[in-house]
Amino acid sequence: MKLAPVDYIILATYFAMVLGIGWMLRKKISTSGDFLTSGRAVPVWITSLAFIAANLGAQELIGMAASGAKYGIMTAHFYWIGAIPAMVFMGLFMMPFYYGSKARSVPEFLKMRFDEKTRGFNAFMFAIMTIFSSGISMYALGLLLHLVLGWNFTASVLATAVIVLAYTYLGGLTSAIYNEVLQFFLIVAGFAPLAILSCAKAGGWHGIVSRLSQEPAMTHSWKYLGSASQNPMGWDIFGVVMGLGFVLSFGYWCTNFLVVQRAMAADSMSAARRTPLIGAIPKMFLPFIVILPGIAAVALAQMAGSGGAHLYELPMKLGAGGVSVPDYDQVLTTLMAKFYPAGILGVGLTGLMASFMSGMAGNVTAFNTVFTYDIYQSYIRKGAPDQHYLKVGKMTTIVGVALSIGAAYLTGYYNNIMDMLQFVFAVVNAPVFATFLLGMFWKRTTAHGAFTGLVTGTFGAVLIWCFTVAEGKGGVFGHLYTFRSTMVQNFWIALFAFSSCVLVTLVVTAFTAPRKESELEGLVYGLTKIRRDENAKWYQRPAVLAVFVLVLAVILNIWFA
Amino acid sequence: MDLRVPSGWFFTLLGVILVGMGLIAPDARAALTDVNINLYSGIAMLVFGLFLLLMARLAAGKSR
Repeated sequence: MKLAPVDYIILATYFAMVLGIGWMLRKKISTSGDFLTSGRAVPVWITSLAFIAANLGAQELIGMAASGAKYGIMTAHFYWIGAIPAMVFMGLFMMPFYYGSKARSVPEFLKMRFDEKTRGFNAFMFAIMTIFSSGISMYALGLLLHLVLGWNFTASVLATAVIVLAYTYLGGLTSAIYNEVLQFFLIVAGFAPLAILSCAKAGGWHGIVSRLSQEPAMTHSWKYLGSASQNPMGWDIFGVVMGLGFVLSFGYWCTNFLVVQRAMAADSMSAARRTPLIGAIPKMFLPFIVILPGIAAVALAQMAGSGGAHLYELPMKLGAGGVSVPDYDQVLTTLMAKFYPAGILGVGLTGLMASFMSGMAGNVTAFNTVFTYDIYQSYIRKGAPDQHYLKVGKMTTIVGVALSIGAAYLTGYYNNIMDMLQFVFAVVNAPVFATFLLGMFWKRTTAHGAFTGLVTGTFGAVLIWCFTVAEGKGGVFGHLYTFRSTMVQNFWIALFAFSSCVLVTLVVTAFTAPRKESELEGLVYGLTKIRRDENAKWYQRPAVLAVFVLVLAVILNIWFA
Repeated sequence: MDLRVPSGWFFTLLGVILVGMGLIAPDARAALTDVNINLYSGIAMLVFGLFLLLMARLAAGKSR
C-alpha cells in the first residue's frame, strides 16, 4: 500500500487535533480528581461513546475483521449475546452502587464493600493486565504498519505512544475521554465506507450468503450452534450463552475498570446509568463495520475477476512446517488497499491509528487511577496532600506508557502472549464478576469469603489451563481434556473460575461473621435507596432505554440467525 | 470546552479535503472501487461536521 501526500496531510491533521484537545483541556486540571476521575463532570453523550471507544482498540478492529473472515457472522456473538446484555445489566443494576458509593475505582469499591486485601489483589492483577493489553495492542499496530506501509516498527510504536502520552499527560482522563469520542467518529468514518464498498461489490448480504453457500455457518450466527462439530468455531450453545454471554462478557463489561471508569466520570447518577445503555446502541451496529468486511472478503475471494484471477486473494503467511496459511490479521488492511484510493485511504489509516490510540489511552488512564489511588495511596504513601497525588498520577502516566512499550517488545519476542491475554481476561474478570454479584446482591457476603473465593477462582482457572489443551496450547502439567479451540477453552475456564469463586465464597461466608448492615448502605442491593428518576423525561429513564436496547438486540439476533 | 466545536471543525475540514480530491481527480479508483468514493464520503463527513457545529451553536445560544 502506498500513501499519497493527501493521506499524510489527513494523518497529520488528526495528530494535531488530538494534541490540541489535550492542550485546551490542560487548564482544567488542578486536583488529582480532575486528572484521574475527570472530576465527575463529563456530559452523557461523551461518556457513552468513550465507553465503547475505549474497548475498540486496534487489536479489536483487526481481530474482528480477521474473525469475520475466519469464522463468519458468528463473531457477532461477541456483541449481540456478549456485550449488549452485559452493558444493560451494568447500567440498570451495577452503576447505582459504583457511582453512588463515590468509589474512585473498581478496586476501591471492593475495599468499601469488603476489605483491604480484596482490593489489593484486584488492583495488582488489574494493573498488570492493563499494561499487557496496551502493549499487545501497540505491538499489533506496529507490526501492521511495518507490513503494510513498510514503516519502521520502533519509530511508529514510539511516535504513537508519545502522542498518547502527551495528550493524557496534559488533560488526564478528560482528555482521554474527549479524544476517544473523536476517535470513535473517525473509526466509523474510516471503516464504514469499506464495509459498504466491499459488501456492495460482493452483491450485498444476499450475494454474500449465496457465494458462501458451501460454508453456510459463515452467514448464520445461531443455526449451526447446536453442535460444536457443525460450525467453524467449534462452539457449542452452552459455552456461548453461559461462558461468553454470561460470565466472560458480564465479567468484562461490568467489572473491568477500563470501561467502568468512563461511566464513573459522568456528571450525575442518571447520566452514569445511561452511559452503558446509550453506548449499547452504536455498539450493536459495530459488527456491520468491523466484522462484515471480513466476511465480504471471503466472498470476494471466490469471485472471478479479469484474467482468471479472483477479485481478492486472502493474504497468506508461512505457517508451521513451511505450509502457507491465510493471515487473517491482514484482511482489513489488504481490503483497504483494494478499495481505497488516495484521500479516503488516509481517513481509513487514520481510523486505524485512532482505534489504537483510544485503546491505549483507555488502558493508560485506568492504570493511572488504580496505581495512584489503590496502590500508591494505599500501600506506599498515605495521607499526603492532594497535589502530591496529582504529581504521582502524572508521573504514572509516563511510567505506564513506558511499561506498555516494554510489553510491546516482550510480545514481539514471545508470540504466545497474544493468546495469553484472552486467557488472562478469563482468569481475571470472571471470578471478580462472581465476587461483585455476591457482594452487591447478598448482604451476608463476608470479606474473608470474597477474598478466598477470588483467589481460588483465579488460581483454579490457571490450573484448568495447565491441565487442558486447545490448539496445542496449555497442558503444562498434564493433558486431561482437549478443547476444540482456544476460544472454547477460554469460555470454559471462565465458567469454572466463576463457579468456583461463587462456591468458595458461599462456604467461607457461612463460617465468618458478616458486617453490620449500617456499614453497607450504598454498597448492597436492598440496603440502598436507588433513586427513581421521576423527573426525567420518559426516554431518559434507564429502564425504558434498557428495554429499547434489548428489543433491538433480539431483532438483530433473529435477523442473522 | 464543547467537544462538538473541535470535532465539528475537524470533520468539516476532512470533508472539504475529500470533496476536493473527488472533484480534482474524479477518476481516482483503487482496484475494486466502482464509484467516486472520495466525493461521496467527503460529502458525508462535511454534512456530519457542519451538523456538529450547528448543534454546538444551538447549545451555546440556549445557555446564553
